[in-house]
Amino acid sequence: MIALKKEVFDTVKKEFKFIGILFLLALVIFKIAFFKEDLMILFRTVLSLFWLFALPGYFIMLYWKEKLEFTERFVVGIALSAAIIGILSYYIGLLGLNIKYHMFVLPLVLIVSGIVINMRK
Amino acid sequence: MIKIKIDLEKILLALFFAFILFVSLGSLFNHNIKHEFPFAYFASDAFQHQVRAEAIKDMGNFKYEAAYISKGIEGIEGRYPPVLYPLAVILSHALGVETYDSILITVVFFAIIGSFIMYFIIKNFSKTAALLSLPLSLIIFSHPVSTGFLWGHWPSLLSQSFLLLFFWAVMRLDLDKSFLIIAVVLSAITLTHTSEAIFAMLFLALFFGIKLLAKKLSVRDIKIVAISIALFFIISFYWLVIFQNTWAKSETYNFVVQPIWDGNPGFYIAGFGFLLIPMIAGLIFSLPKLKQLHVSLILAFTMLIAGFLNYIGFGLRSFQARFFWPIYLSVFFGFGLYALLKFIIRKWNFTYTAVIFIVFSLLFVGMVKFPIIKQTSYNVIPSIPYANVPTGPGIMNPLHWEALEWISKNTPEDSKAYFFYGDIYSQDALLRNSKRFHAQVVPDDFIDAINKREIRRVYDTEFPGDSGGGIITRPSFFSFYNKENTLDEDLFGKKDICQFDYYIFDKASRQEAFAQYNLLIANEMVTKNFIEPVFENQLIVILKNNNPGDDCIEERSF
Repeated sequence: MIALKKEVFDTVKKEFKFIGILFLLALVIFKIAFFKEDLMILFRTVLSLFWLFALPGYFIMLYWKEKLEFTERFVVGIALSAAIIGILSYYIGLLGLNIKYHMFVLPLVLIVSGIVINMRK
Repeated sequence: MIKIKIDLEKILLALFFAFILFVSLGSLFNHNIKHEFPFAYFASDAFQHQVRAEAIKDMGNFKYEAAYISKGIEGIEGRYPPVLYPLAVILSHALGVETYDSILITVVFFAIIGSFIMYFIIKNFSKTAALLSLPLSLIIFSHPVSTGFLWGHWPSLLSQSFLLLFFWAVMRLDLDKSFLIIAVVLSAITLTHTSEAIFAMLFLALFFGIKLLAKKLSVRDIKIVAISIALFFIISFYWLVIFQNTWAKSETYNFVVQPIWDGNPGFYIAGFGFLLIPMIAGLIFSLPKLKQLHVSLILAFTMLIAGFLNYIGFGLRSFQARFFWPIYLSVFFGFGLYALLKFIIRKWNFTYTAVIFIVFSLLFVGMVKFPIIKQTSYNVIPSIPYANVPTGPGIMNPLHWEALEWISKNTPEDSKAYFFYGDIYSQDALLRNSKRFHAQVVPDDFIDAINKREIRRVYDTEFPGDSGGGIITRPSFFSFYNKENTLDEDLFGKKDICQFDYYIFDKASRQEAFAQYNLLIANEMVTKNFIEPVFENQLIVILKNNNPGDDCIEERSF
């Protein structure tokens, strides 16, 4: 069990370097595409996209790490995270949690869920 | 050697991301993220979605449609497929931009992600074909395919991005607990734009039909699909009840043959121009491979069929599916190109793939015009389409936006606004940005008054609002009541303008006479001591009626 947890931890540690590189790459590409925009706004944009979609998606998709390579998991995770957040946000909003809090709550829930599921796997 | 190849693949993918982001959202947004007013909005529907997202941001949820969207009626059930809006609102909060920016960012960003998902689907069939296919996705930003982005077919586009994810999920049926992904994604499709779920079902029917014919259908497959669909119903149940009592009743199926999308710059298969040569080759070469159950091929055939269902009554929905044809059908292009070139190049290596990838990317980006190949933005054979979205504000401008924002922030919430003629007001969903109950003069009656040289107190008036799916209240979970039928008489016809609290006049128009008539009415009104100007910029003047119902204007000839 401990060995398995260490394996998950090692994978995450290794792949977070890739995620870091992808973050910087995304920032550069956003700066090219939106060259008139202030760098701080672009930084916030890329950071938000990573926080809302890339990171939750990554931790969810980690469950299938043996069968899928990192890049595929990363890209698919972005869309899957959007699907889950979109649905959850609609329902949680109806239950009474104002949508202004969803940007903090929902990614966090997905990230924590992803970590817990992978630890228990 | 292998490592270099893998790295080069990633470099090409990064290069593609830069290309597609630049020519899509980059160009549309004039290479800025933040704007002072809705930018790159080219039709009323775009404002329809932007306003709904804004209303949800204000209300905190999508239980109800805002009254100013529902012709002033309170308590109308939020019935539009919801998923796009919370994503846009959450992104608005996170990015610190207005919803009018974040909603378009959402739609374009996930279309791009969709093209990458398609890449991974094709890669499962052939890595070379996948790389050769990818540049074709750039064509979703060519004219007229880009109409989907420019005219506000946004829920359909986002739903189709999820549809690509659905295809991927079905491709990976072998994954442990794959039913979870399939169920969630099918729910996302349904809750984003329900009609795309029909295409998902069409795909499932084809995929499992071929599986059955190829004798590869297993009990496990059937179990996964059954569990997925059961879970989908659980996740989507709440909204499906709304759908069943709104859209399902108002938009029933009718058999109509509709070859042309009237009033819209639709995309037709000939629009691929010269690219049809490798695409047709790819389609023919892929036929014998169908039995091998490559999802990329089956989805391409599915969406090709889906795009032609306008001949049996799917009209608009089929034309919307064509917005993503360059993604869905890219496998035919990549595979066809690869198969044709293999006749010439016997010893294929990655360098060929990389060079062709870059050449076609540059060609489809439209940055490089190849002198021997005719390129045109008009999709007529012979031509090659390329990404060419307009860079410009579209319908809105800072002065109208300033006035609309002023109304939304400086008038009592229950006030009633009356818009006299404005050039952009025919795209009436933009008026909802006043966030107030609003009416506008019917242009025909306005012109009639000018022609007869009359200043009137009563004009033909319309109360624009969103009645798609019906204006429905929901007294209990399963009971729905259509309020629109009871209100039609109130919402159209001759109206006394003196009942309103605010009057909005455009001081300039493409038709000078319209602006002059607007000012004539405004000047007549301010002669009353209870009517006063409360806002003015270079284009707009807003008057406040402090005594609604009183005699606000003298009827006379001029």
